[in-house]
Amino acid sequence: MKIALVGKGGCGKTTIAGLLARQLGRSGRQVIALDCDANPTLGISLGLGVEETDRLAGIRQALDAGDAEHAPSVAEMLERFGATAPDGVRLAIATKIDQPDPG
Amino acid sequence: MEAGVGTLARLPEGSLDLVLLVTEPTLKSADVSRRAAGIIAERKIAEVVLVANRVRDRRDLELIRSAIPHARFHVFPEDDAVTAAERDGVAVLDLEPGSPAVAASQRLASLAFGQHGAG
Repeated sequence: MKIALVGKGGCGKTTIAGLLARQLGRSGRQVIALDCDANPTLGISLGLGVEETDRLAGIRQALDAGDAEHAPSVAEMLERFGATAPDGVRLAIATKIDQPDPG
Repeated sequence: MEAGVGTLARLPEGSLDLVLLVTEPTLKSADVSRRAAGIIAERKIAEVVLVANRVRDRRDLELIRSAIPHARFHVFPEDDAVTAAERDGVAVLDLEPGSPAVAASQRLASLAFGQHGAG
């Protein structure tokens, strides 16, 4: 199931996304959380911690600057641009995917 | 995923199962959500739930509800625990598991999967 949270900047999308992802993870569902923000902070709302979230933000900056290559697949995106948060939620910084998996 | 309206406008038909339109009690936020709902309907992207955030009273509820009167609706109340968690850089679910926002998120999770069945 694919869920998107949309709204005006500062309306609380990140906080609610973090809460929802953790709740779904706790219920036993496999959860992948994608942070599409140019300044990704979803890691904090997920409970990943400031340091790890800053590391992922650095990756996004490198991608935007062309200093790093985008991942060719979802699996590689999760491995190179992701981290595992509490309740098994896998967080990834959204990037371009050349070979998107169906669904 | 968490994204702004610009990302939404680039999505093809049927690319998502559900869009949560997070809306705080301001005219600007309600306007953005209203426009987003229009894009979603026009492009047939997904079903929509209007999520009212930081709700303090009936006026807040009515303002947000008026953005998309016929949409499914869910409420997150104003919650000091969220403010404290953001100040400390931690998840509100870890800081205060019994807070109103955490309870609302549990109901939202049930709503999201209840709407689409198990899976």
